[in-house]
Parts: sequence; C-alpha cells; structure tokens
Amino acid sequence: MCEANVYINREGREEILMEKVDRIIPGEDNNIFLESIFGERKIVQARIREMELVHHRVVLEEVKQEIITPDKEIWLEPETDHGHFHEGEEVRLKVFQGYNMRAEGKPACPELKAFAVVDGEARQIDIAEKEDCGEINLGSEVDGLVQVYVRESGKIDNYAKVVVEVGHHHHRGLQAIGLPLEIIPCDYSHARMGESYEVQVLKEGKPLPGVLVRATFAGTHNRDYPHKLNTNDEGKVKIFLTARGNYLFSVNDGEIRSTFTLMKSF
Amino acid sequence: MCKDMPPLELAIQFHGHICPGLLMGVRVAEFAQEYLGVGRDYDEELVAIVETDSCAVDAIQAILGCTFGKGNLIFKDYGKSVFTIGSREKSKAVRFSQNIDALAKPQFKRFRELNQKTSLSSDEVAEKENLVGELFEKIMTASFEELFKWREVPYEIPAKARIHKTIPCALCGEGVMETRVIISERGKLCPSCQAEFGGELNV
Repeated sequence: MCEANVYINREGREEILMEKVDRIIPGEDNNIFLESIFGERKIVQARIREMELVHHRVVLEEVKQEIITPDKEIWLEPETDHGHFHEGEEVRLKVFQGYNMRAEGKPACPELKAFAVVDGEARQIDIAEKEDCGEINLGSEVDGLVQVYVRESGKIDNYAKVVVEVGHHHHRGLQAIGLPLEIIPCDYSHARMGESYEVQVLKEGKPLPGVLVRATFAGTHNRDYPHKLNTNDEGKVKIFLTARGNYLFSVNDGEIRSTFTLMKSF
Repeated sequence: MCKDMPPLELAIQFHGHICPGLLMGVRVAEFAQEYLGVGRDYDEELVAIVETDSCAVDAIQAILGCTFGKGNLIFKDYGKSVFTIGSREKSKAVRFSQNIDALAKPQFKRFRELNQKTSLSSDEVAEKENLVGELFEKIMTASFEELFKWREVPYEIPAKARIHKTIPCALCGEGVMETRVIISERGKLCPSCQAEFGGELNV
C-alpha cells in the first residue's frame, strides 16, 4: 500500500477526511496525526477502526473530546445588538444560565438578586421569570453608564455583570463595584471587532495574577470556550476581538465564579 | 457611534462575511487613505485600479467608495493582488502589491481547504471559526510591510466616467450604450445579440 484515503466515522456517518495519506501516527490522548503526499497535515481526535490495505482505505472513528464543564454559570445579555441603548429606550437585560454562552435550563430566578450600580450607588432590582431566562427591566428613564450585576448564592457563589451604556459617549471613569471576584474592563470604551480588549480580574478589590480567564462570544461553534488565558502579574488579560456580537469573560476562584459581558456594537 | 461606521465594519457589512482576502483589502484601503490624505470618495475624487477580482476589492469599494457603478473602480483581469489607488485632487497615486508569502502560512492553507469544502462537520465549522479569528488577528496586527510592497506611481488616472446615449438594439429592442453598439447588416446590435445569437433574434 503506497498511500490511502482516510475516512472518519462520525456518529455512524462516514466521510472522507484526507486523500492520499502516506503517514499516520497515533499519538497520546486519542490524537492521530495524518499527512498526505501533497503535504497536507491534520491532527484528529479519533481511533483507527479499520484498515483495508488492498483498497487503500483507512477508517477512523471519531472520539468526542469530553469537555469537563464546571458547574453552570450565569451571565447577562442586553436586549439589543447595537452595543448600547438609546435615551428613552427601555433597557432590558436577560439572565441566562449555562456555559460558553449556551443557555442550559432556566436560572432559579427566586434565588437570584440583581443590583444596578450608578456612580457607586447600588439599588436592588427585580428579576422577572420568563420562559427560558430571567429578565431585568431598568425602564426607559436611565441614562449614562449603569453597571448591573446578579448574584446567586449557594455552594458556589455566582456573579454576572454587565456594563450598560444608555445614550452616547459616556466615557467617564468606570469603577469596580466591589464584587468578591470581579472582572473589570481596563479602559472603558466602545469595543469593536478588530480591536484588542483588556480586562482585569480583581479578588476582594486586588488584582488576581495567574488565574484562568475564559472568553467566548455569542454564537460560537466551539463546544468549549474558544479563548483561555492566564492573567499576568497585574491580573490582566488581553484578547483581540474577532467576532461579531457580545463577548463573555468568565473566571473561577475557589468557591466563586464571576462573569462579565462585554456589549459590542458589531 | 451610531453614525460613523468604522472601515472594518463597512467592509464586513458590504462583503457579508469575514475572510483573509477582505481583511487584506481593509489594510490596503486604510493605508491608501492615510498615505494620500483622503477620506471616502463622494464623486469620483478617488480611483482604484484593481488587478484581481478577489474579496479584497470589496473592502476597497466599501471603504474608499471606489465602486463599479460609479466608474471609479477599474478592473484589469490580471489575476494579481495589485491595487493602485489615486486621488484626482492630490494628483497622486500609490500602487500596492501583495507580498507573495503574505498568505502562505499553514493556517491560510488550511482555511482555504475548509473554504473549498461543500459541507463541513461540526468540528470543522469550529476549526474554521478559530482559524478566521487567528488569521483576523494576524492580518490586522501585522506591519503593513509584512503584507504589501507599495510605491508612489506617476499620476495617470483615467478621466471621470462618461455617460453616453442609450439607443435600442435592432434585434431585441433593449437599450444599449451607444459606444457598445455593433453595426451589422441587421442594424445596430447590442453585444449580447451579436454574441449569443450571431445577429439573429432567438429569444
């Protein structure tokens, strides 16, 4: 056998994976390295199921990567895809529960407490129970920058935060609101695709170095968070925004989990 | 914020999706604006001569306002990633040539492979999404020299597009620009009647 076509069986369906393969090297953790005579290379998570040497055919079977997901997290999503609300517009936010911006089940709304923080002053707000999420309605009177957070107390304390801009050009300083574990934008401004965005993780108000920050975006096709970064000595991580829509940052430390939703206009 | 759409956004909205070719065009358009000291074209102040019909040209149309319909986008079908942008007001033109190895990295090759497939598995969809993100960052953060060579060229920009009289084709009766008419024994024909029906109406 000189070279073979390699097929992969995914959930009972066979499809061509690579043609004219002349190197197959099984590696660790179900990784298989393939190289074709054309120089194409690929690493797949699979095991060899069958080799038909006469027919120059190798069949692999996909091994699904098991994603160890932590307990479900909560996050906030604004009811606008515009990056901000306009003055006089009703400001509504949804509270979701799940992982990687994929909702799984409905959050236990009666167990949640929500607060709106303006100029350092927090006021409690209601969460209405909807079919698949919770909903916060700040009304149509708010203006400027409002930080909204939701707290879920339990074995793990969950926090979800979003910075909501109502009206235009509210770039005055944005302060941490004092959550036990909090993600804050380093330089608050309108975030857009094609720009770098930096956040800082604070624990009890102090920068938290060396902690894993996950980042994802609405509509990702990845099963797990596509970005995983560790904070530097100043507790900061920076990512380049390459997707449309809102981003979600998530961090765990001990028994606390905290998310921050970045509202983007595009 | 609501009114001023940044160049990248204009290009993506116009083109529909994000791909390496479009982003290369974004880099060219933004560089040309800065180099020539110009904004977006309003009424043929700028001219773009493009030697490819790749995705990059959509970014040039969207960001610079040099469009096919306005007549200030001139396409030369040379299959080269070369773009010449000129300003009538500044009497200045700059020519950009994409470096041959600018998109030669393995990630670009893999992106093209996935792009050519008619259907993708769910893993491949995720892989493509990650590749687009990776390439996006590479292209947008690379120095311009890594991507293109450029030089100012003599200002030889064609005159503004002219509007010609429209006359009816003797066969199909449809209007055709006077300068494109072919005079035959059957009368003044449009190029499509001449080419497709050999001068005989067959529709």
